[in-house]
Amino acid sequence: MKSLAIRNLSKTYFDAYAGAHVDAVRDVSLEVPEGEFVSIVGPSGCGKTTILNMVAGFIAPSSGEILVGDHAVAGPGPDRGVVFQSFALFPWKTVLENVAFGPKMRGVGKPERERIAREFLSLAGLSHAAERYPNELSGGMQQRVGVARALANEPDVLLMDEPFASVDAQTRMTLQEELTRIWQERRSTVLFITHDVPEAVFLANRVVVLSKGRVLEEVDIPLPRPRRWDALVESDDFKALANQVLQLVRSA
Amino acid sequence: MNPALQAWSLYARATKRWPALAALVPFIPVVALWWIVAAAGVFPRAFFPSPPDVVRSFADLVYKGILPEYLEDSVARLAVGAAAGMAIGIPLGLLVGLSRKAHAALWPPLLFFQAIGDIAWLPILLIWFGFGLATMTFVIVYTVLFPVVLNTVLGVRSVPVELHRAALSLGASKPRILWEVVLPGALPNIITGLRNGLGYGWRALIAAEMIVGTSGVGFLMFDARRAGSVVEIVLGMIVLGLLWYIVDAWVLAPIERATGQRWGLVTR
Repeated sequence: MKSLAIRNLSKTYFDAYAGAHVDAVRDVSLEVPEGEFVSIVGPSGCGKTTILNMVAGFIAPSSGEILVGDHAVAGPGPDRGVVFQSFALFPWKTVLENVAFGPKMRGVGKPERERIAREFLSLAGLSHAAERYPNELSGGMQQRVGVARALANEPDVLLMDEPFASVDAQTRMTLQEELTRIWQERRSTVLFITHDVPEAVFLANRVVVLSKGRVLEEVDIPLPRPRRWDALVESDDFKALANQVLQLVRSA
Repeated sequence: MNPALQAWSLYARATKRWPALAALVPFIPVVALWWIVAAAGVFPRAFFPSPPDVVRSFADLVYKGILPEYLEDSVARLAVGAAAGMAIGIPLGLLVGLSRKAHAALWPPLLFFQAIGDIAWLPILLIWFGFGLATMTFVIVYTVLFPVVLNTVLGVRSVPVELHRAALSLGASKPRILWEVVLPGALPNIITGLRNGLGYGWRALIAAEMIVGTSGVGFLMFDARRAGSVVEIVLGMIVLGLLWYIVDAWVLAPIERATGQRWGLVTR
């Protein structure tokens, strides 16, 4: 695990349809200390996914700097695990082969990488599905595989791009609880992107509200852990924090 | 339950147990109609042979060894064409699909030469290579090549960008991505290209054999025309259809079931 630092990050696109430059991200600075869970929340088009894509190294920043530990990011790499909204599992690989993919790329031998994969599948409650193909699983199960695959590669930082946006509401709550449990066990450094305010508050130590490519405000979430939905929906602290963040997002 | 429905459910159960039945039964009305028209004597028998005539001719040509030999020649040419077409077509398709520069340089000529159909090459090929194997090989490789290349390009481009990104952020290098992501992702399209290529190639080969040939099913049919043997022409036509059915059902379809369909990339 390492810390993540984003310094004066900007991204300007040329929008060919509008025929104009668009400032998607403007001078964003953000620290995610080692072992901390930070959510970025904001409406569509606020630049949150652009930030994640730059941190992941999928697109190059126009200016600014991204540091994992003290190492500057240049392009994608296994030090930053990514969980995608679309799951992005390899359809031609079984669940086990998907989770073992990172270790395989590192040159880990087959018995060892399958042992690692089984360990992380069991962490995600998926041991029974190891030999199945992704298209045979529900959306919720597919995303559990996505999380297990990212974690099995032991990244320094875990990047999650609206990972639960395309699963149904009940499954989403279960996945959120599982994620907080896994995070507590492993203390990963997590940057979590969402437009869902209760989700951001439920998961994070700190919520960053983004508006028009800028950081509007950062809100600390000192709620006790372990966090469970049936307890938190009744909690005044949770309601107050969620309401505070919601007001910020709506003013954005 | 009404009788038609009962018959249908019986048929459904029978074809489930013996899948070959499902392939044969649809031909019963076709053969029956053919037999009735032939038996009615509407056309002279020499012009319009009946099914037993064709079966007799089949037995005769098999006994003489002509049909097996010609069939072997045609199938061998198709196999060589398919192998060469894939060996050139898949790497070329990967290159054009992955590299913007290769695409810019090669896509226009690919489209241009695709339009010059196999048979349109025959006149110049006959002058260059004469009536021989080289001409036929060129025609079949040429015909198989384009569908394979164009569909491979399509397949490479249909691999979602997220899968490239996922592989990169799991530490995969470019060559590993080619093998682990691009190739399997493009495979359903490559098989479609191969199916089209073999289909076109088979037809082009028969045509080339008619014009160029010294052997092969196409030659058999054209030679029968010279001898005025309609029954052998009909036999040749049936062999063509039958052979394609076998290639499709025993080679292509199982590959599709084991790959794209299993992975949920193509609907069953």
